Amino acid sequence: MDARVHTEGPPFRRKEQVRAGTGVWRSGAALLICSTAAACAGERDERSRPMRGDAERGRAALLALECNVCHEIPGVSGAPGYVGPSLAAYGRKVYVAGKFPNTPEILVQWIMDAPALAPATAMPAFAQVSETQAYDIAAYLHSLR
Amino acid sequence: MPLHPYKPKHKLLLMAAGAAMLVLLGVLAGFAILLSGTVNTEATRQHFKITHWLLEMGLRFSVRRSASDVEPPALDSPAMIAQGVACFRAYCVQCHGSPTAATEALAQGLLPTPASLVESGREWPAEQLYYVIKKGVRMTGMPAWEYRISDEGLWSTVAFLKRLPRLGRAEYAALEDEVSPSACPPNNAAPAGDSVEAAEVALRQYSCHSCHQIQGVVGPKTHVGPPLVHWSRRKYIAGVLPNTPDNLVRWILDPHTFSPATLMPDLNVAESHAKLMANYLFSLE
Repeated sequence: MDARVHTEGPPFRRKEQVRAGTGVWRSGAALLICSTAAACAGERDERSRPMRGDAERGRAALLALECNVCHEIPGVSGAPGYVGPSLAAYGRKVYVAGKFPNTPEILVQWIMDAPALAPATAMPAFAQVSETQAYDIAAYLHSLR
Repeated sequence: MPLHPYKPKHKLLLMAAGAAMLVLLGVLAGFAILLSGTVNTEATRQHFKITHWLLEMGLRFSVRRSASDVEPPALDSPAMIAQGVACFRAYCVQCHGSPTAATEALAQGLLPTPASLVESGREWPAEQLYYVIKKGVRMTGMPAWEYRISDEGLWSTVAFLKRLPRLGRAEYAALEDEVSPSACPPNNAAPAGDSVEAAEVALRQYSCHSCHQIQGVVGPKTHVGPPLVHWSRRKYIAGVLPNTPDNLVRWILDPHTFSPATLMPDLNVAESHAKLMANYLFSLE
């Protein structure tokens, strides 16, 4: 699986969509009213933006790094923490840490060294995370809708 | 032997089932129309004449009933009218205009169009004006002012509106010259009644739900700020401040002191309202 994580998400995305409700409504609406492919593609522009990183590897990295100790992360097992915010629907979040636009590049910087962006934050820096790994994690988080 | 085997009881059942079927079909048809995208939502399209008439009539009857047990105080003291002018200038003229100024551009595109308050002052009883200003009117753009203006200020505004139809251009201008909009008294008091319900209203009155999904508050499925759910379990506010009720109140009142880069705005929340919100959020498990 290469770049198009947003349209061909990993199997666990389905569960998230059902929980969110929108997936069901969207597909219902799509069945009923989508007469041309173009009309339906419009809504998906943001999602189908090609992205660096492999979401499935990112999920494994989140598990290995025990990110769930502080964050609730759908699809990453373990008791959810409440130290940091829930990362559910992260692909729809407008901002990272309430301060920066939620782009893959900024999210990658944040994952690797949050204090460099926001010195007062409780989120620690992760020196052991490589850029590739951070892009994988960003890909996974952005696949959560 | 009867011609067909159904007894009258079955006939009734069949008719009921048929009626239920028709209702269901109607609901489905309505839903299909919504999904088809053919319902026009442009603000340049006026309602049908009958829709407009029905909505306006419904509003009049609703307000009349809701305001029926409101008892207006005396409304003729000059001090009260001066305070009313201050509130009128601070919060009303932008959309409703005044004897010396047209409505602002943002209001001219509204549907329904905001009423000219000269006429409202003439036609509407004081207690109904008070009620509409205090509580707002759903789906019209008229906000509720009870979280912005003190009760005294609301009545002063009514007092001024009752005076407004008797003012010419020069007389209004003279009144306006005497007061500053900052003389409109703010509402800093905690609302009476059930604090959970009051907190839900306060959260909506400061538009918290335009950026945050909030447990127990109906609003858009937004992802601008973090969702305010399971709040009592959270360890930090905005990732920088230990999550205690006092800190939450401080954060709401002045977020930039604690996090200069945060995109959470200072919403000019009254302290009593911030406390109400904090109590509510900490009740969320």
